[in-house]
Amino acid sequence: MAGPTSDLPEAAQRRLTSGAFSSGLSVSDFAACLEMGLEPVGLVQGFCAMQVANYAMGGYTMGGFAQGMTPAGAQGGYVQNYQCPHGMISAEHRMWGQNYQQTWIESAWRDGFNSAYRRMIEEAQALGAHGVLGVVDSVAPLSDTGVVEYHLTGTAVTILDGPAATSDVWSTYLAGQRLAKVFEAGYAPVSIIAAVASIRVWASCVTEYLMEGTNFGWSNTGEPTEIDQIVSAQTNARDIARARARANLHGDALHGASLEVATREFSRGDLQIESRLRGNRIRRFKDFDPLAVPKPTVRLS
Amino acid sequence: MSNSTNDLPQATEHRLEELEKGLFTSDLSVNEFLLIKEVGFHPVGFVMGSSIYHTGIQARKWSQSQELTKLTEAMYNARELAMTRMEEEAAELGADGVVGVRLDVNYYEWGKDAAEFIAVGTAVKAEDGVSRLNKAGKPFTSDLSGQDFWTLSQTGYAPQGLVMGTCVYHIAHRGLGQTLSTTGQNVELPNFTQALYEARELAMTRMQDEANELGASGIVGVRLEEKSHQWGSHTIEFLAIGTAVTKSAEDVTLTKPVTIISLDN
Repeated sequence: MAGPTSDLPEAAQRRLTSGAFSSGLSVSDFAACLEMGLEPVGLVQGFCAMQVANYAMGGYTMGGFAQGMTPAGAQGGYVQNYQCPHGMISAEHRMWGQNYQQTWIESAWRDGFNSAYRRMIEEAQALGAHGVLGVVDSVAPLSDTGVVEYHLTGTAVTILDGPAATSDVWSTYLAGQRLAKVFEAGYAPVSIIAAVASIRVWASCVTEYLMEGTNFGWSNTGEPTEIDQIVSAQTNARDIARARARANLHGDALHGASLEVATREFSRGDLQIESRLRGNRIRRFKDFDPLAVPKPTVRLS
Repeated sequence: MSNSTNDLPQATEHRLEELEKGLFTSDLSVNEFLLIKEVGFHPVGFVMGSSIYHTGIQARKWSQSQELTKLTEAMYNARELAMTRMEEEAAELGADGVVGVRLDVNYYEWGKDAAEFIAVGTAVKAEDGVSRLNKAGKPFTSDLSGQDFWTLSQTGYAPQGLVMGTCVYHIAHRGLGQTLSTTGQNVELPNFTQALYEARELAMTRMQDEANELGASGIVGVRLEEKSHQWGSHTIEFLAIGTAVTKSAEDVTLTKPVTIISLDN
């Protein structure tokens, strides 16, 4: 793609100059949009196809995959080693384990997502929009090409009787009455917030036996036990994503946050834990207008 | 198909004659039926249109991303035929529009490269006798549910037609040299980005062109669907579909929703 100012394909510029507006809003969200004094001006999208490195760039430090080594790409991130407490050497017995942050995967995700986001906002700017609401993002493999596609869509809107739009376009995952309630609460959307953290787990012997339920004899207890290595990986995956999201708030509030954690097992004792945090950065612009007292209802069906 | 001017089979005409006597069929739920009545429409019959289409073959270059125009046209024409036949059924019933339209593609074992495109919905007629036909003089179509149809009418907008645009695109395979030159790197692949961006934009532009032909002021509920059908993973159909709407002349004051707390479990 060319530079930032001409980052959109020619087909996009042609579409955005055609007459009728398009919107990805449901009819209910469309009605709420009009009620809020917002007018849809077009469905906008951003897209980025990325090749994601399969493994840490530069291989492993200190010349090989051995005890205490970490992938070069994980340098500077979270790394934790787990030693075998049994003192035995065997091809089938893991003498050590390791959790490490896959910073190169996080970096690829950030680049792909941000490029797609920037293009979506450029489309909204081309339409003279004030904001983009109802944003939907997706990350998916592109057929069997080894390429990952990042795709964001949303509905660009203008504020009826509002000031002229600037290049500072706001965005939010919210739409419909959920967005209306944010406005009523005295907040305005600033931007969507999305952060990802990826942790790889190379299980130690103890972790492996505990995960498989064959710990009796190795741990000498047989009692239900917390699996420290997995707990640490899960906790750090969540904490890193949360810290990244918080760093992007710049003093504003986060609303409607959702945290998704996906675990993928590549082989026995080899896991990837990925957490994605999404939310809406919002800023107070007026005092809270108390809502009308809700009416209790009972469905007669 | 029959030789009649409207392209419908004889069995259809017989069924529609029965409906014209007053009995109506619909796939509306009871709530949808009530809401359709609330905004002044009455269901007159369940209507459908079908087209079995041979989608043909188009050569594609292994290492080049490109639109497959023959397949694009085939997918578009087949859906148009199904939609047109459904509209003809609605017109036979004197309907003003069709709500709850569903547009599906089915494949069968007996027909290699052939697919059945089917459109179904419930034809409705305005109870005040005022025509609601669209700019093309046909019954309006929409994929709106009864609830959405009611809500849209409260905003002062009216459906004009289910509009769509499609683009069948072949995604290039990556050569060994290209793959090796970027091994181990996080990099954007501009050719892929550009190609897929363009494919989606073309589908959306074509949908907007249809809306403009209907004199619509906008399209609501746009969905972007992607399917490889039976062409393999490198050939994808991008389909953009939504309901074109026009704003009525009157200014409408929207009712503020009432907040409730459900006491149900």
